[in-house]
Amino acid sequence: MTNMAEDLKAPDLTGGAPLRGGAISPEDRRHNTHRRSTRERKKRTTNVIIYGALVVLVVALMMPFIWMVSSSLKENNQVLTVPIQWIPSEFVWSNYTDIWTRIPMMGYLQNSLYLAVIITCLQVLTGSLAAYGFSKVRFPGRDVLFLCYIGTIAVPWQAYMVPQYIMMQQLGLTNSFNALILLQAFGAFGVFLMRQYYMTIPDELCEAARIDGLSEYGIWARVILPLSKPALASLALLTFVNTWNDYMGPFIYLTSNRLWTVQLGLRSFVGQFDAEYAMIMTGSVISVIPILFIFLLGQRYFIQGIATSGMKG
Amino acid sequence: MKRTTLAGIALAVTAGLGLTGCAGAAGPAEPQAAEGKTRLTVSVWNYEGTPEFKALFDGYEAAHPDVDIEPVDILADDYPQKVTTMLAGGDTTDVLTMKNVIDYSRYASNGQLQEINSVVDTVGKDNLAGLDAFNLDGKYFAAPYRQDFWLLYYNKDLLKAAGVDEPKDLTWEKYSELAKKLTSTADGKKVYGTYHHIWRSVVQAIAAAQNDGDQVSGDYGFFQDQYTTALDLQKAGATLDFGTAKSQKTSYRTMFESGQAAMMPMGTWYIAGILQAKKDGKTNVNWGLAPLPQKDANGKVTTFGSPTAFAVNKNAAHSDEAKKFIEWAAGEEGAKAISKIGVVPALKNDAVTAEYFKLDGLPTDELSKKAFTPDETALEMPVSDKSAATDKILNQEHDLIMVGERSVADGIAEMGKRVKDEVLK
Amino acid sequence: MTTETITQAPGPARTTPHSRGNRKQARRNTLIGWTFILPNFLGFLAFTLIPVLAAFALSFMEWTSFTAPKWVGLANFQRMFASDSFWVALRNTVVYALGHVPLTMALALVLAMLLNRKLKGIGFFRVAIFFPYITSLVAVAVVWNMLFSPDSGPINQFLHAVGIAEAPGWTSSSDWALPAVIITSVWRDMGYYMVLYLAGLQAIPAELYEAAEVDGASAWQRFWNVTIPSLRPTTFFVVVMLTVSSFKVFDLIVVMTNGGPGRSTTVLSQLIYQEGIGEGKFGYSSAISLVLFLIVLTVTVLQFKIQQRRER
Repeated sequence: MTNMAEDLKAPDLTGGAPLRGGAISPEDRRHNTHRRSTRERKKRTTNVIIYGALVVLVVALMMPFIWMVSSSLKENNQVLTVPIQWIPSEFVWSNYTDIWTRIPMMGYLQNSLYLAVIITCLQVLTGSLAAYGFSKVRFPGRDVLFLCYIGTIAVPWQAYMVPQYIMMQQLGLTNSFNALILLQAFGAFGVFLMRQYYMTIPDELCEAARIDGLSEYGIWARVILPLSKPALASLALLTFVNTWNDYMGPFIYLTSNRLWTVQLGLRSFVGQFDAEYAMIMTGSVISVIPILFIFLLGQRYFIQGIATSGMKG
Repeated sequence: MKRTTLAGIALAVTAGLGLTGCAGAAGPAEPQAAEGKTRLTVSVWNYEGTPEFKALFDGYEAAHPDVDIEPVDILADDYPQKVTTMLAGGDTTDVLTMKNVIDYSRYASNGQLQEINSVVDTVGKDNLAGLDAFNLDGKYFAAPYRQDFWLLYYNKDLLKAAGVDEPKDLTWEKYSELAKKLTSTADGKKVYGTYHHIWRSVVQAIAAAQNDGDQVSGDYGFFQDQYTTALDLQKAGATLDFGTAKSQKTSYRTMFESGQAAMMPMGTWYIAGILQAKKDGKTNVNWGLAPLPQKDANGKVTTFGSPTAFAVNKNAAHSDEAKKFIEWAAGEEGAKAISKIGVVPALKNDAVTAEYFKLDGLPTDELSKKAFTPDETALEMPVSDKSAATDKILNQEHDLIMVGERSVADGIAEMGKRVKDEVLK
Repeated sequence: MTTETITQAPGPARTTPHSRGNRKQARRNTLIGWTFILPNFLGFLAFTLIPVLAAFALSFMEWTSFTAPKWVGLANFQRMFASDSFWVALRNTVVYALGHVPLTMALALVLAMLLNRKLKGIGFFRVAIFFPYITSLVAVAVVWNMLFSPDSGPINQFLHAVGIAEAPGWTSSSDWALPAVIITSVWRDMGYYMVLYLAGLQAIPAELYEAAEVDGASAWQRFWNVTIPSLRPTTFFVVVMLTVSSFKVFDLIVVMTNGGPGRSTTVLSQLIYQEGIGEGKFGYSSAISLVLFLIVLTVTVLQFKIQQRRER
């Protein structure tokens, strides 16, 4: 798979005509050089402005995170002071070593990871399969069924959480990961997201592949999937983040301490009348790192272009 | 190509690390009950951070070697929600800890708890503080093992610096004066004379207790004076204003332990907390206890409190064993076990109180001892099936009065109107 | 419009000569369609659809979770429509949605376009925009409440500096608490939806832009005539998800204001939770959820219909 990112990235909306290839006369070359440097200067100024705006934006966006980090280095009774102290008066680095022994943090991280990975894989797989059915295959009742899917997204979980729990209790699945996996891996969100993305893939490609003799499944695997990398990456990322940060689901279904996820572990610092905020923030900072890592890895896929060269055949 | 291999490896490592969690990596698997032992399950909150449970369970297992107690650990924040959900699904946990009286009244009226009159009679009705709360038409469905009530914590050094010896025999007027006197801004650090936490009971439950008011009645004129006092203190800057305290989730522990508040009305559960904080060196506040300020200075101390109790699940797997446990926990043995860690037991007799005051670090002056034995402890909130809904309305209106959006008179009128319309109809 | 002449506008699968009028092919299509959907649908049916339907059925009953449910017909609904708290929560939810949806969508799109380029270190900025979404809600609530603090917060200090004497009370006042929450939630969600728009922007073939430039279109015209139409499926998705999640908002409100001061930021999900799990009135809370569902469904169907008409 060649990397066509260079040719296919969305162009600068601020201008810059595409460079023309081919033979260039010396006069043209001088002319072009002059035009190119003006263009480059304009591009550089635009870039500077963009960078400036982004830096301001970033500071505004990161403020709570900065507070989180600073709180994680304070004593518990120094966190929620009025007025807010941005810099701890004394740095309690020991919070970062204590947390691993105060609660089984490593175990909690592993549990969270297990759940997040499994649910993400299942959601992406079944979601993209179902989305193909909903967008590229015609059959009666398709749109009504799809509306059903979207309809359930409209119901807040608080509404049906008890019937679900009773069902799980009957199946004997409470206090297990399987309950959460079954509940969350087959959601409507993934189906909806992928279906919308598939709709932007022209049907001509599918037609051409059909003519070539590929079965529908083949089309899905060989044509559609590779084209939908950005959507797959977004779905994977968002599902992972949501599962990782999920509190209510694990709270209701995971009773044994050995099954607890990071979010539950952090809340165990909240006592009946008070909370150990510094430890909670320490745990929150640690818990954010895997997500950042995955995002940094995955965000390249948002710009890796799609091969639409199939159109020109 | 290299990038994909790297990503592939990272993915494999991640998956591998994660898959080791499939059996639950945060602890060993539950041990099966040993042969011959009865396994009693008890729902608790925050097992690690609430040492009273461990103290009770260890003590009981030592006295009854044929019983193995297994705590069902639920996060404190949403404890009632989870218990409600579990019960809705027909859960068989034997002993349910009743975190507060409002939840108890709901479970009891729904028939989800077993009647334990016999247990209560054995422990002794007269000695159990807060027992009245659990009386539902003459039947008891839970027995309290712990009773917290409210008193006044004060910073001895700050008071002495202002020339005040001890905050004794305080009326609310004297209390206000004292708070204003103790407010200062020394070296840019503001010290408040007192700190009123955002809970509505700081105003409403005190008013109800000291005026014999009924918080479920729909008539709340008896809140008037207390609100006036509270707002006056706020306006004079003698306490942190409600809006800031609420939106910034101010911790009452921070306020007192950092010396930012010279006085603080708070519950007795904090005693264990501040003892531990001092032992760990997290604070060096020289603290003392005094009775809550009263309406008049006739020496009688009325305060309010909230009991914590154990109840037996209607669907319990081991009902008899459960009842025996509650009898032990609410009785003298249990009371002594939790006194040792600074938790105030519900059982009140001389032996237990003496045991409590042996605690290391507890202030032993006369005033603190007096604070410990209030003449009357009213319930924080009356028990009825209307308590939950009323509590919600009172909370919402409390907010509006304290941020200054409604005058005290209007707020009280609105409270009454809403409770009558929405709950009592 | 240049787009129409060069390529077909994106849309659902058209009927091909094969499946038109060919019953065997139609049946085959149904079978194929279902095999694709089945893995997801089975799980969805069992673990989502059925509990949802059960919850709706509960809205016509009274159930305290311990005794058997008792049929009460429309009593729950009558109680709900007569309840002041319901209307307050409904109004708050609608206002929240009206504020949250357009603002988040616009900002997410602007950010996506800003970050859809190859600048050095662009990855870092993309991560930074995503930060608010992954920051602990407690941290978000504490910091924003501090920013909104009426006396000492920077926002009001800035407003004073530019000459606004009566600065709003934000989260300490009934009138301004909801706008404050909307601002915080827009800040938090724009990174999330930016991710979706970034993916959508990738689907736009460069040829479209090139052709538009050849035709002499300016940057704004390219945006309006190429980007926006090509983004329609993504925009539809974003709008629907935003609307739905706005109506369901819960966590942020609970952590930031807990519905207060008073009831000025209480929303429907909170009411459902309080009445159901909080007070054990499962029948009543299911009735509220049914109403919420119908409202959101109506809005979503409308959006669906508009989208379909646009695609014809």
